[in-house]
Amino acid sequence: MGEWGNAMKFLKWLLLPYFAAFVAAAFLWPKPAEGFIGESSRIVFFHVPCAWTATLAFLVAAGYSLTYLIRRNPWHDEIAAAAVRLGLLFAFLALITGSLFAKVMWGSYWNWDPRESSFLLLIFLYGAYLFLRAAVEDPERRAPMAAAYALFAAVLMPFLTFVAPRITASLHPQTVINPQGKILMDSPTKAVFFGGLLGFSLLFFWMLSLEARTARCDRNQPV
Amino acid sequence: MTTTELDAQGLSKAYSGAPLFSKLTFRVATGLTAIQGRNGSGKTTLAKILASLLRPSSGAVRVRRGDRELSGDERRLAIGWAGLDLAFYEDFSAAENLTFFRRAAGRPAPPEEIESRLAAVGLTEAAGRPVGAFSTGMKQRLRVAFALLFDPPIVILDEPMAGLDADGRRIVEDLIGQRRRSGAVVLASNDERDFVEPEQVIALGR
Amino acid sequence: MGEGENRPRGTLSRVWAVAQKDAAQELRRRIALASVFFFAATALTLVSFAVGPIGVPAESRAAVISALLWIILFFSAATGLPRAYVREEETGTALALRRVTSATIVLAGKTFFNFGLFLAIAAVALPAFALLLEWQVDSPALLALVLITAGFGLSVVSTFLSALVARASQKNVLFVVISFPLMVPLLLSAITATIEASRGSLPGTALRVLVAYDGAASCAAYLLIRAAWED
Repeated sequence: MGEWGNAMKFLKWLLLPYFAAFVAAAFLWPKPAEGFIGESSRIVFFHVPCAWTATLAFLVAAGYSLTYLIRRNPWHDEIAAAAVRLGLLFAFLALITGSLFAKVMWGSYWNWDPRESSFLLLIFLYGAYLFLRAAVEDPERRAPMAAAYALFAAVLMPFLTFVAPRITASLHPQTVINPQGKILMDSPTKAVFFGGLLGFSLLFFWMLSLEARTARCDRNQPV
Repeated sequence: MTTTELDAQGLSKAYSGAPLFSKLTFRVATGLTAIQGRNGSGKTTLAKILASLLRPSSGAVRVRRGDRELSGDERRLAIGWAGLDLAFYEDFSAAENLTFFRRAAGRPAPPEEIESRLAAVGLTEAAGRPVGAFSTGMKQRLRVAFALLFDPPIVILDEPMAGLDADGRRIVEDLIGQRRRSGAVVLASNDERDFVEPEQVIALGR
Repeated sequence: MGEGENRPRGTLSRVWAVAQKDAAQELRRRIALASVFFFAATALTLVSFAVGPIGVPAESRAAVISALLWIILFFSAATGLPRAYVREEETGTALALRRVTSATIVLAGKTFFNFGLFLAIAAVALPAFALLLEWQVDSPALLALVLITAGFGLSVVSTFLSALVARASQKNVLFVVISFPLMVPLLLSAITATIEASRGSLPGTALRVLVAYDGAASCAAYLLIRAAWED
């Protein structure tokens, strides 16, 4: 685990001050956006990166599932599973932060907003993957089965995420994802926002490395 | 006529823990190859790996004809296999089972063909009966018929004499005798008496 | 013995052989087949008792009935379709199948059998449903089109996923859990299409989505079945 382990250690020490600065900045630096109630727009700094990370996790899981099926390296299967577990965590966080925001802005936790619903489905998908892994008792078969499922799901994913826009109106604020494709944020907001995306992504990879290694330790397999 | 060869390189298999066998390298082309070993030494596992029913932990099995490597359907049909966990469709008769397997493999299955194959293992009388009603010995004969269903140049038999009466033993011994002359037979067995002057011996377990 | 003779021909006839074998098995022991229809009948009756007397307002009738129909079809399929693969593993015949034919042929054969089974279930469920809930369908032809298009996707996904659960524990629950997230886009489109078809209009968008889904699922299943089926 040589250089990879060193890179992860470096990352760990970097993330600590980075997140401290990020959280402080999120609450103190940019002004709250217009059209939002009170300070609630600040949630975008946490909600969107969580959602992004959950999606990143899925892509990583699918990617490593593919390389596992090609090369049959058991580590790749391990990483894919770890990515899904983390994806589940971040998807939950995205859903919770989103619900809190919804409560503040529109008075109810759940509104059947298309993006909300597709994230709920994503959580079900992650859960299903983990259930499948738990249900295949033979360790030799578990990895190829899980990989096959992950890739099958990846192919059908576009339908999962785009079936939602069939319901045209979305409650999701259009500041980032909008028809013009422009980013309608001022500079401090942009800085903190993209800083958040980067920070969460790095955090994800660090947690991924940790999760994969501890899972193998738990099973007394070489790390 | 080009010979079909089975080429095993560095085969090893481990199920979480100590390997059953490792770095097995051998070639099967003609004659009788014996796989010997006590119970649990990995004979069945090795037989299945050679028949592409299991993946080895490391190493590879290749099937060659001349200078060409076989793959897919050709490879599947170049190797016959029968083992004790080979099971048939119990609601169907022996004839229906073999007919289905022939059709699924894309080969013609005229009734005379199926009848002659069942006759070769002495199952003519029971041809129309559902396999569910077969005795152990009858099922074993059907297994051997299955292994020979596509006249493969290489036949892998795992404990072929299990549950057979004297007649059945004689039939299978004769078939092995024929096959080892025209092609190759790989025989895995607990019983040393099953091996009649093998050309090659692979001893498993220690 | 020339080389050409050793090369198996007729993929289609091989696929048909597998589908035919499955059908023959089911028809010989009718209990499994009967239980699927019995399940569908029970679900239908339950829904009718629950919804019938209360009555659904005319404007939402099509939507409610379409949704209930596809829920019943989904669960009926979940009861009946996985048997194709599960039975092979449970009786041990999968080993023989692996030796004589390829993963893709087995998948194709079982998918077609399951598709036939689904259509049979729908053919029984639909008229019964329409009768019990006084559902007026303006265009039965369009509805049939929706059933065929959505039903095929449902069959492909169910058959592929049942290959995954065939060698796992908790098969029934596991199947529903792993199929549900992937089926939602199909079911939503099917429901929308059913509503429009029952009103007599061609559900263009929904059908396009369904056809795309069917294509994507078929390709993915074809490419991935080897990993799921072989060792």
